[in-house]
Amino acid sequence: MRKLIPTSIAIGLLLFTVGCRSNNTNQVEITLSGWQSNPNEGKLLDKVIREFEAKNPTIKVKREVINSQYMDVIRTRLIGEVAPDVFYLEAFEAPTLIKYGVLEPLNSYIKPEFKLNDFEPNLLNAFKQNGTVYGIPKDFSTLALFYNATALKNAGIAQPPRTWEELRAAAKKLTIAQNGKITQYGMGVVPELPRQTFMIKAFGGQLVDQNNYAAFASPNGLEGLQLVVDQYRRDRTAAQASDVGANSNSEAFGQGRVAMTLDGAWAIPYLKETFPKLKFQTAEVPKINNQKGTMLYTVAYVMNRQSKQKDAAWKLIQFLTDETGMKTWANQGVALPSRRSILAGLNYDRNPIYSPFVTGAKYGTIWQAGETLPTITTSFDNQFVSAMLGQQPLPEAMKRAQNTANREIYLSR
Amino acid sequence: MISKQKTREALSGYAFMTPAMIILGVFLLLPIICAIVLSFYRVQLLGEVDFRFAGLRNFVRIRDDERVWIALKNTIQYVLIVVPSQTILALLLALLLNAKIRGRSWFRVAFFLPTVTSSAVLTLIFMWIYNSNGLLNNFLSFLGLPTYNWLGDPEVALKGIMIMNIWATAPLFMVIYLAALQDIPESLYEAASIDGATTWEKFWCITLPFLKPVTFFVITIGIIGTFQLFDQSYIFSNGTGGPDNSTLTIVLLIYQYAFNRLDMGYALALTLILALTIMIATLIQRYFFKEESLD
Repeated sequence: MRKLIPTSIAIGLLLFTVGCRSNNTNQVEITLSGWQSNPNEGKLLDKVIREFEAKNPTIKVKREVINSQYMDVIRTRLIGEVAPDVFYLEAFEAPTLIKYGVLEPLNSYIKPEFKLNDFEPNLLNAFKQNGTVYGIPKDFSTLALFYNATALKNAGIAQPPRTWEELRAAAKKLTIAQNGKITQYGMGVVPELPRQTFMIKAFGGQLVDQNNYAAFASPNGLEGLQLVVDQYRRDRTAAQASDVGANSNSEAFGQGRVAMTLDGAWAIPYLKETFPKLKFQTAEVPKINNQKGTMLYTVAYVMNRQSKQKDAAWKLIQFLTDETGMKTWANQGVALPSRRSILAGLNYDRNPIYSPFVTGAKYGTIWQAGETLPTITTSFDNQFVSAMLGQQPLPEAMKRAQNTANREIYLSR
Repeated sequence: MISKQKTREALSGYAFMTPAMIILGVFLLLPIICAIVLSFYRVQLLGEVDFRFAGLRNFVRIRDDERVWIALKNTIQYVLIVVPSQTILALLLALLLNAKIRGRSWFRVAFFLPTVTSSAVLTLIFMWIYNSNGLLNNFLSFLGLPTYNWLGDPEVALKGIMIMNIWATAPLFMVIYLAALQDIPESLYEAASIDGATTWEKFWCITLPFLKPVTFFVITIGIIGTFQLFDQSYIFSNGTGGPDNSTLTIVLLIYQYAFNRLDMGYALALTLILALTIMIATLIQRYFFKEESLD
């Protein structure tokens, strides 16, 4: 009798699990992982997913939000073979994952009616290697000049700066001190490589050489970066977020502590929601060395090569990125749709706030450079800050950053 | 007959210990062995799993890695300042609360609160206090003292973390000291008073020697804890160890190599170096504190 109870419980449990399995013989579940910049974005994506499930009753989609250290989580799960079937991937992480062969090549899935050539080529190329497509761009953003319309009006500046010289002059006018303490800086600056790569390229510098070693400390590369350092150190008209007690550059701009800044389209919904009274406008990044330049960031849906439900996973990617699916959530404005037809269809190119971002996509520098980029970024960020703070001259700091990065790359190969 | 019973007893003893032994073996012993062995390998985990014997290459690489030395310097600086400060502060607080003052239970609870608060929450609160327009800078400028960009300036960023940690961990050691203080027999103090000892002499010749084993414990735990500084500098710098490597610690560096760069073999080599450093520090300290019996 004493043995009977546990045995019957065990048998019961066994039957229960078997029962569960037999219930869903033809239903498959796939996981979609990504981050979420605001709740509204999540709601829209959920809506699209429900539409997908209604059209594909055999597929159930589990959406999972990873908001902190996204890539660390994804990499660890890929190693543990418990990674999601479909997940977001930023362009700059793509070369590493492609190199290790953890992404499923998508060429065989893509049908002509998917209209792959509708995607902005710059964006698609970021997820392509030797003709193989590893990801379908979901959206993109560039950097544009955000300016506080009220502050510019008060300073008597009629139109936003068109060149970097004009920007420096405007920043001087926009820097306001009260009782010896600066209450408003002209420009907000983020001294990080993801935001500054186009400054390296402005005078013909290169971020990396053909073997993906760091190469930014060339005289040409330094010329653009020197402009940033000079404005911060010599003019004293620029501020980092931490200088003015803000958590982020966008917040510093929203609070009116900086009158201008370079930021991405993701800042627009944030600024509108958090600072409804703020009157801001956007313009293209001012010309440097008589050339237009900006940064271009993109994110794609990619498929895990280990996925057991590849057909279902592709169906989901296709649904999310085809013309109807993309249109459904693309009007939220966190980022811009990667299909040219939808970009035009939703009038983003005619919207005064968004059009500078759309134009930027044609000449922007994509934030990507081989699998060595994380090492280079850490090294650059560390030394660039010290040059900004005046602990060492910029050329010296950049030489050190470049050497440190290259030694590390060499040793890790 | 007896031996049979003995084996049976031994067997049942091991049977009782099996769960603990399995858990410790799987989650403690096995990882340690793995860590030691794999630190001599070049490990690729993503995609095709691949182990290649690398000999001492990982350790040679440490020698040439500038960031390891910066991290080590930061960590040692941190240990040298934080451990003595928090130990002295803990002792002072304990002496204060051991005296017969009013509402001391209240003070004990109030002082102990930071220790039971999660360090992630504490760091976030302190980041507000350290904000350029935050509490600390307002207070400093009110007193006419210079203000700092506590989060952005490499010169002071690590000091900010030090202050925070001293404040948060001292109370834990205070409680340990407090318990030890209660154990000192009152008769010794009485005898000293009769001999005409001053309060200072009583503290120096009775209290401190009695607290020596506790101080050894407090410093050892303090050193181990501070060498493993991770969460505070991680939150402070958003995982980069910046500004300008000023908040880079060994554990943060290990994390960066292991999880950002997926260079597991090298990260494990660094882990061994850290373990070695902590062991050496503890041995040095044992030499100074040579445990002696008090009676």
